[in-house]
Amino acid sequence: MSIKIGLAGNPNSGKTTLFNALTGATQYVGNWPGVTVEKKSGKLKGNKEVEIIDLPGIYSLSPYTLEEVVTRRFLIDDHPDVVINIIDATNIERNLYLTTQILEFGIPTVIALNMMDLIRKKGDHISCKALSKQLGCPVVEISALKEEGIKDAVNKAIEIAKQGRIKKFALPMMEEVEEAITQIKDLLSVHNTTLSLNNDWIAIKLFERDEEIVKQLSLDQSTMTQIEEIIKACEIELDDDCESIITSERYAYIGDVVSHVVKKGNQSKETVSDRIDKIITNRFLALPIFVLIMWFVYYISVSSLGTIVTDWTNDTLFGEIIQGNMQNFLETANVAPWLTALICDGIIGGVGAVLGFVPQIMLLFFFLAILEDCGYMARVAFIMDRIFRKFGLSGKSFIPMLIGSGCGVPGIMASRTLENDKDRKMTIMLTTFIPCGAKLPIIALFAGAMFGGASWVAPTVYFMCITMVVICGMILKQTKLFAGEPAPFVMELPTYHIPGLKGVLIHMWDRGKGFIIKAGTVIFVACGLIWFLQSFSWSLEMVEGEGSILASIGNVVAPIFAPLGFGNWEAAVATITGLVAKENVVATYGVLYGIADATEETSDLLSVIAANFTAVSAFSFIAFNMLCAPCFAAVGAIRREMGSWKWTFIATGFQTFTAYLVALLINKVGTALLLGGSIIEAIIAIAIVAIVIISVFIWGRGKSQETSFDV
Amino acid sequence: MKRLKDVKCGEHVKVVKLEGDGAVRRRIMDMGITKGCEVTVRKVAPLGDPIQITVRGYELSIRKFDAEMIIVES
Amino acid sequence: MMATIIIAAIIFGLMGLVIYKKVKQYKSGESSCGCGCSNCASSKSCHPKK
Repeated sequence: MSIKIGLAGNPNSGKTTLFNALTGATQYVGNWPGVTVEKKSGKLKGNKEVEIIDLPGIYSLSPYTLEEVVTRRFLIDDHPDVVINIIDATNIERNLYLTTQILEFGIPTVIALNMMDLIRKKGDHISCKALSKQLGCPVVEISALKEEGIKDAVNKAIEIAKQGRIKKFALPMMEEVEEAITQIKDLLSVHNTTLSLNNDWIAIKLFERDEEIVKQLSLDQSTMTQIEEIIKACEIELDDDCESIITSERYAYIGDVVSHVVKKGNQSKETVSDRIDKIITNRFLALPIFVLIMWFVYYISVSSLGTIVTDWTNDTLFGEIIQGNMQNFLETANVAPWLTALICDGIIGGVGAVLGFVPQIMLLFFFLAILEDCGYMARVAFIMDRIFRKFGLSGKSFIPMLIGSGCGVPGIMASRTLENDKDRKMTIMLTTFIPCGAKLPIIALFAGAMFGGASWVAPTVYFMCITMVVICGMILKQTKLFAGEPAPFVMELPTYHIPGLKGVLIHMWDRGKGFIIKAGTVIFVACGLIWFLQSFSWSLEMVEGEGSILASIGNVVAPIFAPLGFGNWEAAVATITGLVAKENVVATYGVLYGIADATEETSDLLSVIAANFTAVSAFSFIAFNMLCAPCFAAVGAIRREMGSWKWTFIATGFQTFTAYLVALLINKVGTALLLGGSIIEAIIAIAIVAIVIISVFIWGRGKSQETSFDV
Repeated sequence: MKRLKDVKCGEHVKVVKLEGDGAVRRRIMDMGITKGCEVTVRKVAPLGDPIQITVRGYELSIRKFDAEMIIVES
Repeated sequence: MMATIIIAAIIFGLMGLVIYKKVKQYKSGESSCGCGCSNCASSKSCHPKK
């Protein structure tokens, strides 16, 4: 007999950790609310008959957020045999709120009391036995992180799943409410409901005027009116509204349960979390600390430690050892020169240039994993909320952007947690501004070539991108497309915890692996193609440089980029190939110039780039490639999340246009200020950008007046 | 009538009533801010909004705009 | 000459395989994001079969 076990619980209560421990999977765990957006299933380790489903973390079974709806649909439609409700023992009151709703549902339930070690550390005591007696269902103490007690929990779950129905749970309520709910239940019993659900639960949901349930039940008009009358009468009697009444009843009941079960130790002790928060979210220190942390992350991964490793992999590993030996091998094997060139210059040159940056990317992922795991992300949302609110987004929108600094695709997907459609669209449009892992090599390459690996380059680019998110957000907000009320922001600030090294390393490796695989597949093919195009002319004769197919294509596009300071065909080609995957920007340069010259001290690639760019045009090139339309995979994700090609074009067009203006501004103003360039051109560039912004404002205002006429 | 929005840092208050309606209100209640529960305002974010409160033993951040609909008494 | 043919066959064979796989993935509605999908919170929307 196969058994389906659902894992339900509050966000951040350790569901995914438990899921990973039970199934041996390496699902992503993060210490912020809402990491799991969709349900995921896996088979129990050692027993293939048992399927385990990890549900999104929820606070309640209300019908308001996507996560709640996903979980409800699962409970209603998929009929799990048993639910393991994970409870964060340090936060028992709020966690039990969901428990009461799950128990009402009538599915056999086991409660897994997680993080009991923290409770003991605090000097508190929670009695599992007493809790089990109060709630009428088994309670098992577990530690998902240390994998203690999880076997007991699952065995208990399987046991009661086989038994079938367990003791019915009914929330004790005030007489008036009890009466009203009984009346609704009586009405329901007359009708044959289409749902095979517990009538008690349906009655309570109807009492709460739950729209989802009303829709699913499709009761006739007269019954609905009768129910409405019952609710109204009760509301008037208690001088409160229906949702409020039920919520208060639940928390009142929980308060009673907790008083029987929890024994508090010495109270009012300041926790470690409190002490950390005193500094991290301090009024004056919070923003500087955020800047400092991100600076540190990008500094270490791009400039200091990362560069050392990358220099070695680029020059020694790929340059001397692999490329050198391969060349010798192919020459001794008497392979045709064109094939030797394809393999050594094209494939090893291009793929090697990308793989050379894997250490830096890995370091970035390592730090991001630590930040995500320790609980700092929620604080960042808390700190940044005020800024994001300025353009109608909530601090929650910052979370997709932080995920986006790993990869844009999951960043775009993470925007699903935003309830408001306009907010979601705007977040999607702005998320890919944040440099993702694949854009990191571009920064690193140019930082090494133009700025001597200066430590300020990478963090500066990162903060420029965040600034662009803020500026563009404010501008977009002015248009009709995004004007509207600010979204609410009610978010839990989870307790800090020290990230587990194993988890962080697994997470880092899982993400980094993707880059290596991509280098071996997409980049591999792209490099072969780029090599072919740059080595042959249109008449298919082998040529060098200018006469090649690639150069002639590049030369057509290059004039567009001339005002940005990088009007040579190589830069144009690199930018275009970057649309396939951002790693291609570096790979293209690798193919064109070769990654390293074993005889020289400095690598060849860096010196050629240094010769082709000025410091200003290099920065403009970086800026354009950071902000312009993302890679195809991310465009695909935008398409899926936006649900229309029209919006996809608006988003990518907007991004590319913004990138162009920013790069123009950097190039013209930078040249004028630093390199003694034309001041008039700089003023013209500023004027163009100003005119665009002003016309967006005017257009936007005109549009919003139109809409007000419509109303 | 005092609102949660106006409560000073470090002050300890009791919730009297929740105004407003719809999803935000339900979310606030789901998070444990119900009639009669006790709330401590912990701090204000660096830029003045949102605020951090302790409710039912955990930390919650909420915007002043949303905190305005929570009526409290000392 | 022999070596050229063999090595060329290997290289082009690999490229063909990659393109074939990517096209197949694209047609089945998956996307390759290059960010380690196995641990992604939203992997289901890229890899619906898993």
